[in-house]
Amino acid sequence: MPPTRQRLPGELSFLVVLLLASLFLLWTAYGISKFDSLTSAGAFPMFATAVMVICAVLILRDAARAAPSEAQAGESLAGHFIRRLTPPVVVGFTVAIALYMWLLQPLGFLLSSYLFLVASMALLGSRRWGLNLLVSAGALAAIHAIFQTVFSVVLPSGTVLKSLISGGGA
Amino acid sequence: MTEALGFFFISWVDPHLLLLTAFGTFAGIYIGAIPGLSVTMAVSILISFTFKWEVNSALALISGIYLGGVYGGSRSAILLNIPGAPSAIATGLDGYPLAKRGEAGTAIGLTTVVSVVAGFIGILTLALAAPAVASLALKFAPRDYLMLAIWGILLVGSLSGGSLAKGIFAGALGVLIGSVGLDPMTAESRFTFGNLQLTAGISYVAAMIGFFGVAEVLCQLHELKLKAIKQDVSKILPSWSLLRKYLPLTARTSAIGVVVGALPGAGGDIASLMAYDHAKRTVKNPSRPFGEGAYEGLVAPESANNAAVGGAYIPMLTLGIPGDAVTAVIIGALYIHGLKPGPMLMLETPHLFWFIVGSLTLANIFLLVFGLSGVRLFAKIVETPKAILLPLILVLSAVGAYAINNNPVDVYWMLAFGVLGYFLKMYGFQVGPVILGMILGPLMDKSYRQAMISAEGNPVQFAGEFFTSPLSLVILTALVLTIASQTIWWKRLRGRA
Repeated sequence: MPPTRQRLPGELSFLVVLLLASLFLLWTAYGISKFDSLTSAGAFPMFATAVMVICAVLILRDAARAAPSEAQAGESLAGHFIRRLTPPVVVGFTVAIALYMWLLQPLGFLLSSYLFLVASMALLGSRRWGLNLLVSAGALAAIHAIFQTVFSVVLPSGTVLKSLISGGGA
Repeated sequence: MTEALGFFFISWVDPHLLLLTAFGTFAGIYIGAIPGLSVTMAVSILISFTFKWEVNSALALISGIYLGGVYGGSRSAILLNIPGAPSAIATGLDGYPLAKRGEAGTAIGLTTVVSVVAGFIGILTLALAAPAVASLALKFAPRDYLMLAIWGILLVGSLSGGSLAKGIFAGALGVLIGSVGLDPMTAESRFTFGNLQLTAGISYVAAMIGFFGVAEVLCQLHELKLKAIKQDVSKILPSWSLLRKYLPLTARTSAIGVVVGALPGAGGDIASLMAYDHAKRTVKNPSRPFGEGAYEGLVAPESANNAAVGGAYIPMLTLGIPGDAVTAVIIGALYIHGLKPGPMLMLETPHLFWFIVGSLTLANIFLLVFGLSGVRLFAKIVETPKAILLPLILVLSAVGAYAINNNPVDVYWMLAFGVLGYFLKMYGFQVGPVILGMILGPLMDKSYRQAMISAEGNPVQFAGEFFTSPLSLVILTALVLTIASQTIWWKRLRGRA
């Protein structure tokens, strides 16, 4: 039967990583209670990870048989991978999310979220700065009011700001 | 009966619950209408905010969002040819050609009415069938629960048209994530790698938001430049003759929706594709050829996916087994509120069951009101620039993941699962089975061990017990048939027939 799905760039490497991770997890599951008994704490995790290993092998086999997706003329494998899987906007936005999460505790929810919203809206192509600043402020005010009061969610207030305030007050 | 009716009408007479149901339905339609924002994503994020609420308030909101979201997906399918939800994939096949002919208003109006009719059929079936299924479920042995859970995961992988191996892999991955932490029976550490944080397990809400929120946002970045085409939505109310013409098809495809929705692990997306296929095979003289703007091609999937909502609640409430990804998330919400879905929930807290039925009915009425009155507004909504929308979703996701335990680690988990989910989706895996696996994993683990203990740890006796009761045999047959239907021999056999 001819393959129906084209293989994307990096797919084989990704599947090999999945297979290796599954093997490692199978080994870890075996280490929980080895072959002590069929009702031990490790029995079911061993079954689940064994299923993962078998499926990963089958998926890898199918992917290896599939025809690779065609790159553009003169495009390298890395270029093809970047275009299809990790275009700059995806990488940039993921980095922005990671930075946002890292700053959430020290800067607090309001400041870190505002910075993230304004920066990421610009990153995604919204060049109307006034609108970005206004929408970010309005949305955050609404989120903060709704979640703090209606949903009783305690949002991070910011360790850096707190220490600055307490330092200033001392 | 009077008592049941009393519980049924709680959300109708309590202004707070009435408002929450209305808001949920409105928000559901809004979220469902925006391409890429799924109902599962919305429910996952909202659950983390409602865990401090009283259970009735949370359920009223979720009922509205679920029904509204499934319906809302049709809007962008018709106006943009991009399904707002997986259950609206088939809707665009004829909905978009209708919009291109200038009949978007009629298409949306017809979709609204048939969705509401189908929604009532699904809810009625839930009200009638669930108590009977719950009584039957009391006879289920642990091995039956084990097989049902496995069947659910297999169905997701096999029926949605993707690779079965990928579906099973995703399900097993979910089971694995669900087993991280201390074993509930022996308190032994599993997959904790000596890390104290991991002994409490991984928050499945953080994982859900990661897989359905962050991963979806990252996938949407590939379609940033997609623009909506202005459509004429002036004539909305469909004529009575048009409605009467399609009522028999609505009834038939609603039945498909209820049955498929009630299958563990299936759901509206599969139901709508099967209903579309049914319409194509059975309607001899469609209004236009299928794929070119046939009203039948619009009515069939939209009836099925809304009827599937009521169907999906049946296994969730009676067996504790989700009918689809959304009900998997709702099960998570019930656990957070200290409830354990299953036959005992139905017997011990029947008020909760009738409350859910009442809230769904109310949400279905709101669906008709908002569906027919806000067409112009929703046509505008699908035009919201993604550059503004996606960062806002991300902030809501982060708040949702953080809110569960006020723990920044959950936010990191959310991002990690989001990135993993992104690559899995890009390489053709489905993330629905991961969530099903996470929810069903502990149930499968417990059922397997109980069944093995009752077989005195003897694998031969364990295997033999699957053939001892008619119920086990029926489920085993369904399980074997599902696996067999995916083999090359079966497909060759069908090809020859």
